[in-house]
Amino acid sequence: MSCGITLGEKLPEVIIGPFDADALQRYADVSGDTNPLHLDETLAQSIGFSSPPVHGMKILAAFEPMLKNWRSELKIIALSGKFVQPILRGESVKLTGKVLRVSDTEIFVRLFAHGPQRLPAIIGEARLSPPTEPFA
Amino acid sequence: MQNDQHHLSLGPLRLQVDPTRAKTYALETGGDGLSAPLAYPAVWLAEPKLLEIIQDLCRSQDVIPVHESQSFFYTLELALGESYDLYVLLKHETEPSRLIIEATIKTTTNKLVATIETILRLVPHDIMKEKA
Repeated sequence: MSCGITLGEKLPEVIIGPFDADALQRYADVSGDTNPLHLDETLAQSIGFSSPPVHGMKILAAFEPMLKNWRSELKIIALSGKFVQPILRGESVKLTGKVLRVSDTEIFVRLFAHGPQRLPAIIGEARLSPPTEPFA
Repeated sequence: MQNDQHHLSLGPLRLQVDPTRAKTYALETGGDGLSAPLAYPAVWLAEPKLLEIIQDLCRSQDVIPVHESQSFFYTLELALGESYDLYVLLKHETEPSRLIIEATIKTTTNKLVATIETILRLVPHDIMKEKA
């Protein structure tokens, strides 16, 4: 146990989205990821999507506030994710997390982002350090 | 810049955590905008020198880059307004076709801040259509 965190603890779920065309354009503008696949409905439909897919990074990045809202005293030292399924424009996303490992120096959290599909959109992980650990 | 058959290194690129852009990025991803988001360095993938290489590769092979995975590992926090040096190693794998972008962020005094890995699957247009 570390900081009162228990193995198997589930983080409060967070729902984000649905994201409209304006939201995707704003993310493209700020991130510089102007890949037309995310912005051009005609292009997206030409390769078989019913709507443009949301930038995966927009969703992965949303895990940071989720983790901070759960335990603001912890430092996030690593965040990663595999993009398994696209989330399409207009779809909501459920972010979940579960503590899989706890030590005096690190908390390991498995993360999932689920859209309407059966498979998760993102399978991710975060590593956090307790406040007693030096992290400049 | 150095180039061999499948690897290319770039950098250092001197880049800044622009406070306004970092706040906007945070707000667009659910954050409060009070600190630099962990994922903020993703914006540096759009640096013209780096983006041109990715776009040229995709054009030459008639592929669409699909973000397959992303990781950030920090040893120091990013500070708003601070400048950093970005070192990038691009690896092009052919089976399956992927572009692996390994980036290292250092302070201007050469302290390691973070390592980042971006993997882009390079999918031919016709296969993309079949899979979607």
